[in-house]
Amino acid sequence: MVATLLSHGWKKLSRSVSFSKELTTTILLTLFGLMFLGYSLALGFALDRIITNGLKQEDSFQFLNGLMLYYFVFEFMIRYFLQNLPVLDVQPYLHLPLKRSRIVHYLLVKSMSHGMNLLVFILFSPFAFTAVANRFGMASAFSWILTLGLISFCLHYLVLLFKKGLDDTIWGLLTLVGIFSFLGASDYYGWFKLSDLSASLFAQTAQGYFLVMIFAFLFLSIYFFSFRFFLNGMYPEEVAFGKSNAWGKNHDFSFLQNFGSIGDWINLEIKLIIRNKRPRTILFLSTFFLLYGLVFYNNDLYTQKMVGFLLFIGIFITGIFMINYGQFLFSWQGGHFDFILTRPISLRQYIESKYWLLSTVTVICFLLSVPYVYFGWKIILIHAAMTLFNLGINIFVVMNVSMWEPKKIDLKKGATFNYEGVGAAQWLMSIPILLGPYLFYLPLSLVGYPTAGLLLVGGVGLIGIIFRSHLLDLTVRRLEQRRYAIAAGFRKD
Amino acid sequence: MISIQSLKKLYKGTSVVDVPDLVIGQNESFGLVGNNGAGKTTLFRLILDLIRTTEGQVLINGKNVQGNDEWKSYVGSYLDENFLIPYLTPEEYFKFVGKLHNYSAEDLNNFYQKFEELFHDEIIGKNKYIGDLSKGNLKKVGIAAAFIGNPQVVILDEPFENLDPTSQIRLKQLLEREREARGITYLISSHDLNHVTEICERIVILEKGKVIKDLKGDNLLGELEDYFKA
Repeated sequence: MVATLLSHGWKKLSRSVSFSKELTTTILLTLFGLMFLGYSLALGFALDRIITNGLKQEDSFQFLNGLMLYYFVFEFMIRYFLQNLPVLDVQPYLHLPLKRSRIVHYLLVKSMSHGMNLLVFILFSPFAFTAVANRFGMASAFSWILTLGLISFCLHYLVLLFKKGLDDTIWGLLTLVGIFSFLGASDYYGWFKLSDLSASLFAQTAQGYFLVMIFAFLFLSIYFFSFRFFLNGMYPEEVAFGKSNAWGKNHDFSFLQNFGSIGDWINLEIKLIIRNKRPRTILFLSTFFLLYGLVFYNNDLYTQKMVGFLLFIGIFITGIFMINYGQFLFSWQGGHFDFILTRPISLRQYIESKYWLLSTVTVICFLLSVPYVYFGWKIILIHAAMTLFNLGINIFVVMNVSMWEPKKIDLKKGATFNYEGVGAAQWLMSIPILLGPYLFYLPLSLVGYPTAGLLLVGGVGLIGIIFRSHLLDLTVRRLEQRRYAIAAGFRKD
Repeated sequence: MISIQSLKKLYKGTSVVDVPDLVIGQNESFGLVGNNGAGKTTLFRLILDLIRTTEGQVLINGKNVQGNDEWKSYVGSYLDENFLIPYLTPEEYFKFVGKLHNYSAEDLNNFYQKFEELFHDEIIGKNKYIGDLSKGNLKKVGIAAAFIGNPQVVILDEPFENLDPTSQIRLKQLLEREREARGITYLISSHDLNHVTEICERIVILEKGKVIKDLKGDNLLGELEDYFKA
């Protein structure tokens, strides 16, 4: 039975329309995954030497144990982003004469086949079987690594419970960040030392299998708790989208009505963004990205020596929403593209509404980034130049490239590690967007006129803005040609 | 009103629609009947310029629908859920579509009154997003929106499917009333021979994209039943 279910899972993956289309994405993700695995393994082998030679710690075992609880908090965070709830695929089986409990067991066990469950072993087995085994013997090495593994497995189910409980909300994430900072602060101000607690806890593993038994018991308890929890929560309506009703009654921005039908379409798109999880997350992330500059701007390395690098930051800070939301510009409305085509709106108005939405948000991002003037006028100059470039050039790159075989996005799904809608276009898009400004900046900066280079980038953007009507015409003409193919693609799945 | 001229649509070499000549006059109620895969929805999509024609053209009021937005202001349509916006409430959706047709608040009120009976208190004022409605209610919202803007032509794909018996009867009355009052042209496809013969005076049978029969007269139902029995 389980084998049949597994084969269905595989068929679902391999037969989906998007599978072959998203091959690029799959391959790239696999490559990233392998790279990550390789680094982890290398880190695992080097761990002992790093701690004793690099960090000059006498007792590497005690030092590592002290960090272990922090590691698990960190692992929990990564898991939160990487792991998806396994519940949605069971609907077609619920009405068949299959025991519900069996389906739930299947789901829970299958969810274990996740790369994150290997991480702890990859990172720490080399250390266990060299450093720990040499000092305390093989038995202790097993006891140590098993304890770590069991805690990691506990986290696996805790994350699932956490995600199901808090349902992808921003509050869930904030709670996590809150706990993390609280722990850090307590260590720093000496309320209690998590590192001491952690060190003495894991030191026990050298004394025998006592801790292993405790965590094995804990793991089984969490598993059965998850089992009960998911068994009761398998009704499709509870995992679907009804909850979003809580989001406001009225999201109309009445001042937009002064802009005629373009304003109406912008209003519509604003509703799309705030009422659906995935675009909403993109909006949250954009505000988050505004703080991105803090990482770089108070570091002399970047502000003095690598000024060119700051162009990247400028593009991201002012254009992150434009890039992140705009890469799926048409996919968001994939579910009602036919509506747009049959209603009295010209494609010109449609494109213009998108142009104004994206450029307004870009300008808002720029205005919000003005306080960075604290780090020097140069920062603002960079931001201004990048804003102009985003408004004059990149916005048209985004709009045109996103027309290239867009795929429908199911608005009901969440955002975390959702690759729906991602295709070759989305990967390629970043190249011109990020490298474009350097095309104009580098020649001048290399011969010693970086400020003139910045002005040139801004000037090029300005030219784009001045000729926007013409550029919009070109964009509309392309959409005119692509509309049937785009609409057919959206209808397909 | 609508004139189809040597229209052809090929998918990978096989023809899915092949209509050499078909004219649908003003105030005509035109029914389209055919088994699954006959090309009914494809024909409607071609008329609405949702897919590119391989050959030929569709004229509405003498103008090619392709590359032209004018017809959209007097053609209302509902084919499937791709015509609805799931994250709006029905009221917001009607208001939005109304705006596209320059509806005043009074126009919208008249519209609600017209559809009050069909909505049966399940659509308006329920604080539910369209995405959370049942199939039948989705259909009602879509059909109602097709009538916004006092269209001269209304195109509906399977309007009776998923509706409960009461709603089916009410919808039929509504369609009749609207046609008598304003002389609308209907293009309606259906699998239900009873419904479609009650509403339509002219019925075309489509098979593999071709017009097999173009029927008018008093014994539509009988002729259709004879055809589909064979």
